[in-house]
This record gives sequence, C-alpha cells and structure tokens, in this order.
Amino acid sequence: MPRKFRLGVIALRAFVVIFFVFMLAPILVVFVASFGTRDYVSFPMEGFSLKWYWRVYEYKPFLNSLIFSIELAIASTILAGLLGVPAGLALSRARSNLGQFVTMFLLAPLSIPLIVLGLALLYYMSLLGFGIGFWSLLIGHAVVGLPYIVRTVTAVHRSLDIGIEESASILGATRWQIVLHVTLPLIRSAMFAGFLFCMLSSLDNLTISFFFGTATTSTLPVVMLSYLEYQFDPSIAAIGVIQMLLTITVLLVVDRVYGLGKLNIAD
Amino acid sequence: MLSRSNAARIGFRGAVGFAWVLPSTVFLIAFFVFPLIHNGLKGFTESGEQSAVTSYARLLTEAYYLGTIVQTLVLSLVVTLISLLLGYPIAYYLVRYADKSANLIIFLLIAPLLTSIVMRTFGWKVLFARTGLLNMLLQQIGLTVRPINLMNGYVATVIGLVHVLIPFMVLSISSVLRGIDRRLEESAQILGANKLQTFLLITLPLSVEGILTGSILVFMLTNGAFVSILLLGQGTIHTLPLLIYQQFMVTRDVNFASAMGNILLVFALVCLFAQLRVLRRRN
Repeated sequence: MPRKFRLGVIALRAFVVIFFVFMLAPILVVFVASFGTRDYVSFPMEGFSLKWYWRVYEYKPFLNSLIFSIELAIASTILAGLLGVPAGLALSRARSNLGQFVTMFLLAPLSIPLIVLGLALLYYMSLLGFGIGFWSLLIGHAVVGLPYIVRTVTAVHRSLDIGIEESASILGATRWQIVLHVTLPLIRSAMFAGFLFCMLSSLDNLTISFFFGTATTSTLPVVMLSYLEYQFDPSIAAIGVIQMLLTITVLLVVDRVYGLGKLNIAD
Repeated sequence: MLSRSNAARIGFRGAVGFAWVLPSTVFLIAFFVFPLIHNGLKGFTESGEQSAVTSYARLLTEAYYLGTIVQTLVLSLVVTLISLLLGYPIAYYLVRYADKSANLIIFLLIAPLLTSIVMRTFGWKVLFARTGLLNMLLQQIGLTVRPINLMNGYVATVIGLVHVLIPFMVLSISSVLRGIDRRLEESAQILGANKLQTFLLITLPLSVEGILTGSILVFMLTNGAFVSILLLGQGTIHTLPLLIYQQFMVTRDVNFASAMGNILLVFALVCLFAQLRVLRRRN
C-alpha cells in the first residue's frame, strides 16, 4: 500500500477519535462536575462529594418536576402511540401520492421550529379553553412526538413480508386478529424503539414546555433552565446525571425485555 | 411463504385500511395546522400599532430586526458548513473503514441525543468557564497564567450547536454513501485515477444528495435553535427564536412575536420544500 495513502487513513482515524472525544466531552465533564465540593463549578476538583445529589433530593422543584416530566412523557407517548401506530401500519404499504403526502404531513412537526409552534399553541389552547396545564402539555408533546412513532412503525412494517399477514387472512383471521396477534408482535421491538424516542423527546422538550409552565406543571428542563439563570452550581450537573442514568436504565430494560432491534435512523 | 408479488396479484392489501390514518391526521390538523394558521392570521384584523402590517413592516425595514433575521441565517449557514466539513470525513470513515467498530460509532453518535440538551449545553459552559476545565488544562500546560475568558459567545454557541446537530449530518451523508456502488470507484482506479481523484470525481459527486439533505436539515434545525443560544450566547447573539422568547417574556407584544414566528416558519417551509426537491430528484 503506497505510503501516502496509509498516512491518510491514519490521519482519518485520528480525526475520528478526536471527534468522539469532542462528542463525549460535555457529558463526561458534567458527570465529573456533579461530584464537586465547592459551591460553584470549578476545576481542578478538590474532593469528591455526593452533596449535590442530596441537594437535588432536597430541592423540591427538581424532584417534583422530574416526576412530572416522567408522567407527562409516558402519557404523551401513549397518546402518540394510539394515534401513530395505526397510521404507521396503514402508510407503510401506501404507494400512492396521497399516501406519501400523508406520511410527510405526519412527520411535519419534526421540521417546524418548536418556538413558533409553542407560541401558536399557547394562544390557540387558551382560545379553545384548555389554558395552560397538563392537558395542553399532553397535546403539545404528543404532536411533537408523533413523528417518531410514525417513522419507526412505517419503516419496520414495510420490511415485513406481507405474506405473513396474508397467510393469517387466508387462514380465517379477522382484521383485528391479524393486527393484534400477528403484526404487532412482529414489529414489537422496533415499535418500542419508536416509543422510546418519543418519550425522550418529551423528557428533553424545553421550548414547548416553557410556554405552558406553571408552579405545578413545570417540566424538568424548564426548572433546570430557570435554575441556571441564577446559579451555576453543580446541582444541575447532578440532576443531569440522574436523568441520563434513568434514560440508560430504561433503554437497557426495554432492550433486555423486548429487544430494540436495528434502528432505522438513517432516514 | 407467499412472496410479495403473489400477494399483490391475489389482491391482499394488508390488514389495515387507509382509514386508520384518520385519528392521527385529524389530531394534527386540529392541534398543529390550526394553531399555526391562527398564528399566521393574527393581527391582520387589527389596525394601527398592533396590526400585522405594521409588525411585518417593522421587522423587514428596521435595522435591528433585519439584522436579527440576517444573524439567524448567517449562524445557520456557519453551523451547517462546519458540520459538513467535520461530518463528511466521519461519515466516510463510518461507511468505508469501520467494519467492526461501525455499531460503536453509530452508538457514540446517537448517545448524546439521549441526554438532556440542557445538560449538554451546561457541559460546554463548564468547559469554557473561568474556573472550568479548559482553563485548568491551559494553566497546567503553562500556556496561560490566569484564567482567561474563553466564553466568546459566538464561538461557544457555534461549538454547542455543531455538537448537537452534527449527528444528523453524519447520518444523512453516510446513508447515501452506503448506496454508492463501489465498483464505480474500482473502475476509476483501474482506469488510472489515484485515491484523491477517485474521491473528488466519483465519490463526492455521487454523494451530493446526502450532502444536500444533511445540510438542509442542519440549516433548518439551527434556524429554530433556542436552548443552546440562550445558554451559551451570553446575550451577544440575537436570532429570531431568541427574540421571540424575549418578546414573549419581556414586552409581551404577542402580535409582534407571532409575526417573527411566521417569518421563521416561512424559512422552515422553504427548507422543507427544498428537501422535497432533493428527494424528488432521487426518484
């Protein structure tokens, strides 16, 4: 192999390594900073302390908003799932122009700037009488999370051999029986991956949640944001680490129980 | 097992009818389209200071607001270009060289998306802060004696945004690169082209679609970016989303904020339209 070429590959490899150090740096830094002893984030670290995790537990808004965020994420994912799974199943085999248009339409919330949608939803909801609060948040998060479910279900159902459902039909299964006993079990793993993405988008959503925040219905990112405006102490790092660990745990549990399968994320 | 073509001939169209899309479609029309239309029409019925016409006139003629619009677009352009320049080599490596480590690389790309954006942005604040990690390293190496202010708002924001958005670029490009027939590259090399020529004349042009898709996506996402700019910009960066936030929080001028939102929406729709054109070219 010509020398110049080998050098190129080595340089590329080094670049990839540096790139991933760059990608992981903020996360690792936050992880380390969460154990700081001083009242502000500082390096070099002088000691090792768990006091910021204790502070997270003590500071009511953090804990309450975390629980609320989780409840909201689950609820909005259920709503988005009820709407999106049937749509995904119907659209996966649609070759018509109408089908493609509807698919694009259902995926549209991904592309709209959330701050515009949040502002618009706020005034629209108050017009409808929903006001701010849990229901408005639920609807807002479901709108934003729906594309994740539609996209995953469509992709995995498309790769399923239609012959399987056809055989069930020939053997006498009704429409509902086919969906419940044949289709859904087969796409289960990828479907749960879609649910996971939907939940994560809800947990992390700041822009929409911000418009609907009240004392009792603030989500964790909103609380973290207002905390950051006045303080720069490691408790943000601690709550961030807790949230990350929760996410990883859920990921591992779902993968262990159902298997997440290959994620079609490239489209 | 019946093959796909057999099933089509028999007429089985799947267990699920097209009507199953109705609940989700109605839901989105009610809670996605209508709010945006309502926002778009706001202010056209009023006159004077509060009217929509006045708002748009101010936004498009007053230097401050025009500057904000320009800053938004320029920032998106900068982030897109950097993401492209840094992301393309990663995508290339992922598709061409990473056989065993491909899954690991994809995981490392997606993993940051699993953490909170507030946490990631906070991490950059920690890295750049006066008492932060980078300052400590610089002092230990001996390049600086006192903590220096690394938090140049613009640079920090660009870094933060690239960090968040580059996975989208890499995944867009890599999915297109994967589809390029390697025999084309081999033929070029047989015919005498060296590695660089093969890349520039064969691979790069064939991957343009991935470049366009990724770039439009990153551009669109930067346009709407809010959290990173708010936390890292240190008040020096003024983009449309930030202005909308300020209008809402401080001046409570709702009609004005809506007008800004509509301009932002128009940008997003243009990007969507452009993406459609790129996809249409594929087919």
